[in-house]
Amino acid sequence: MLFHPISIILLLLTFMVQEFIPGLEIAQYATLFLPAVFFFCASVAAPFSMMLVLAFITGFLWDARHLQGVTESMAGVEDLFGTGADSELGAGSHSLPFGLSIVLFGMLGSLMQGIRPLFKRGRLELPVLMVGVATFTWLLSQFLIITFLRGSLHFPGGLWSKMITDTLLAMLASPLIFLLLYSLARVSSYEIKYDGLRYRFDGR
Amino acid sequence: MKKFNILALLVFVAGLVGVFTFDTETTRQIQSRVLSLLSPFIHSSAAMQNAAESVTAPQINTAEVKRENDELRVQVERGRIVQQKYNQIIEENAKLRQIVGFQQAAPFKMTAAKVIRRRSSAFWNSLIIDKGSLDGIGTDSPVITSVGLVGKTSILAPRMTEVILLTDEMCRVSAKVEGTLEQGILAGERAALEVRPELHLRFLSRNANINAGASVYSSGEGGVFPPDLLLGRVKRFENREISGEAIVEPAVDFSSLDHVFVIEMQAVVPAPEPPATVKP
Repeated sequence: MLFHPISIILLLLTFMVQEFIPGLEIAQYATLFLPAVFFFCASVAAPFSMMLVLAFITGFLWDARHLQGVTESMAGVEDLFGTGADSELGAGSHSLPFGLSIVLFGMLGSLMQGIRPLFKRGRLELPVLMVGVATFTWLLSQFLIITFLRGSLHFPGGLWSKMITDTLLAMLASPLIFLLLYSLARVSSYEIKYDGLRYRFDGR
Repeated sequence: MKKFNILALLVFVAGLVGVFTFDTETTRQIQSRVLSLLSPFIHSSAAMQNAAESVTAPQINTAEVKRENDELRVQVERGRIVQQKYNQIIEENAKLRQIVGFQQAAPFKMTAAKVIRRRSSAFWNSLIIDKGSLDGIGTDSPVITSVGLVGKTSILAPRMTEVILLTDEMCRVSAKVEGTLEQGILAGERAALEVRPELHLRFLSRNANINAGASVYSSGEGGVFPPDLLLGRVKRFENREISGEAIVEPAVDFSSLDHVFVIEMQAVVPAPEPPATVKP
């Protein structure tokens, strides 16, 4: 059963490749979030337990690389208006907790598992669409949590164009990742497709 | 649901609880290690980006470059002279302080760094510079340019550092408004996607007399940022429920940063005790 270890190695590789993917300046630096997209694709191909492992690794590494503003908890030392060193060091401002991405990936991976039967039949239309939905939901959830913690529901200009471009890029890349996973399954003798269930259209 | 899946879910939740209980130090260590592991790839991508930019860049006019070079040489010479005078004044100041027995103000050293990566994540306002812990840089150190404050250092790797920009709400600065006694906390908003997003100077007095265009400087009250660093200029003033708020345009254009300086505050050196007079 080589499929699962190789999926994990590929997931780790996507974090390295991510550093080479530039942002689109015209769409507020929208980019392809390759580790996330790879996870969403792999979570359709892998069983539930493996999906959880992948969700944990993806979320952990994503937060370790990208989460900003991990600050010292200084409860009780903040003065009335938050002035002073404690405020400059970040106390009183709300950072996202390390590990939040694991929860988000776990939930979205469970959602992706729902279309696994269709994916097993070799149909890619809905899985590609679902990768887009999952990417958009992931970004929107992050944004909503940020605004919720801040205490103001404000949608800045360019937010939607950025998130939609991110989503479209994810949907563009996902068929390639699905094909890679199919090839990997074939090489490692892992059964993704049930040939007996494969949908065939012969024109009749 | 299969028993194995339930077991996997329990292990997942246990791991998640373990991650949520990490303290700040552990989290920073993990982030630092991951940044260190990925640093060769970040350096390589920066090199590739530079190479691509140099290919697409317009043809260099050698005459213009030579003229620019001459101008820069003159500026460097002028800078050297100013530096010498500055050193003399610092020396003189130190002697005078010693004579008066005045406590020495915390000096700081500046490390020049090159910006190698801008904004690589979904919503965070950050950049990566090519100097790290091996160059003597620490966490939460101010990062500036000749124009003003850029932000503060965050995750450290041996040869690179992630900088949280002033436009992120995690970078909060004690600030004062020029020409007034008003002081407050200046911060940006996370996920602000504009090139030069607005900053918010909060906790000012209601109905404070603050004019548009007034400069906003760091007050130094917090101890993290030195005083009198230019942060931006007031665009407008708004009264909130319990306090006033000034909307500030940042002084620095964050989209065109190439080089920055990291300020390392050094420990205060106590003035040496005057030699005791020996009585016969």
